[in-house]
Amino acid sequence: MALRDSDAQERRLAAYAPRVYGLLVRMVGNRDTAEDLTQETLLRAFRAFETYRPEGKFRAWIFRIARNAARDWLRRRPLEPALGLDADWPERALASPRRQSRPEDRLLHGERASKVEAALRRLPDPDREVLLLRYYGELAFNDIAKVTGEPLGTVLARAHRALKKMAELVPEEES
Amino acid sequence: MTRCPKPEMWVRYAAEELADRPRRALETHLESCDACRREVRDLARGLEAMESLEREPALRPEMLDTLERRLRVAAANRPTRPRVITLVARYGWVAAAAAVVAATLVLYWPAESPPIVLPGNHQAESLQEVAAAIELLRVADNGTTPLPPQNLFPAGRQNELDLLLELDDAGLLLDYLMSQDKLQG
Repeated sequence: MALRDSDAQERRLAAYAPRVYGLLVRMVGNRDTAEDLTQETLLRAFRAFETYRPEGKFRAWIFRIARNAARDWLRRRPLEPALGLDADWPERALASPRRQSRPEDRLLHGERASKVEAALRRLPDPDREVLLLRYYGELAFNDIAKVTGEPLGTVLARAHRALKKMAELVPEEES
Repeated sequence: MTRCPKPEMWVRYAAEELADRPRRALETHLESCDACRREVRDLARGLEAMESLEREPALRPEMLDTLERRLRVAAANRPTRPRVITLVARYGWVAAAAAVVAATLVLYWPAESPPIVLPGNHQAESLQEVAAAIELLRVADNGTTPLPPQNLFPAGRQNELDLLLELDDAGLLLDYLMSQDKLQG
């Protein structure tokens, strides 16, 4: 029974690895660290599974651990490149593959993804964090407020600022 | 045109996080407000831009292998403990919360309150009965019993008797009735 539980927990957590990585790589700014923190996040969650209280969304719980892991890392490493300044910032390799069947589509979409990445880098850390938690965690703003420990109004104000900035910096997609 | 809602409200609208009623109210406002339509369009464009990012980026196979290995090691090192302890660890807070609620109920269970005495020595045991009594009074005296003063209630709702029930404030009701000499103390 215990083994079956562990297996199920491992599978459940491993399924979050890509999204957690997607959040972390944009929070800490480089791939190696994001990979390490992704593993650390899922291991922490695995160890804490037995005490997990099903009082909120499981996904929000995972992303709270991930976000805190990134914050801890950033605090411990003040001399590391600031968010978004790392040359290893992921760009085309992480672009969505949708509509990339034709080479010209791939090129266009890659360019757009690069612009989105560049725009994200220009956001203040807390504003970017809200967008990332919403996108990768698919969390409602209420849940994001719980994850970050901020009032809902603050989270919405950050989202508002960040979305307006993204709209300003990323050209409209041609249909 | 109604007053423009706060920008934060449009964030929830653009993200489709609003319930039907507020969403419809905002849509009504949008029909007559160019500025808010522009606001929503910008926010939607911001959200749409994020969609260019791969939501589930491919991870290096080596990284996934390492993760799997580390999870297996963590599973092997997990202390085994009886199922009941696991359940207590996981759900003990439910029992604790239930105990707190039970203790609170015992401590604060309302003592039997004196009945509300209405004109003619009728007794009312609930707020609904008080409200019904007011309505009866108004019928009996051809509507000369005034309704509660307007400034007690939100604009536009002053004459709705059911608001008294919504407010669920027996004290306010009783104060009002006493002030109108309609209720015996």
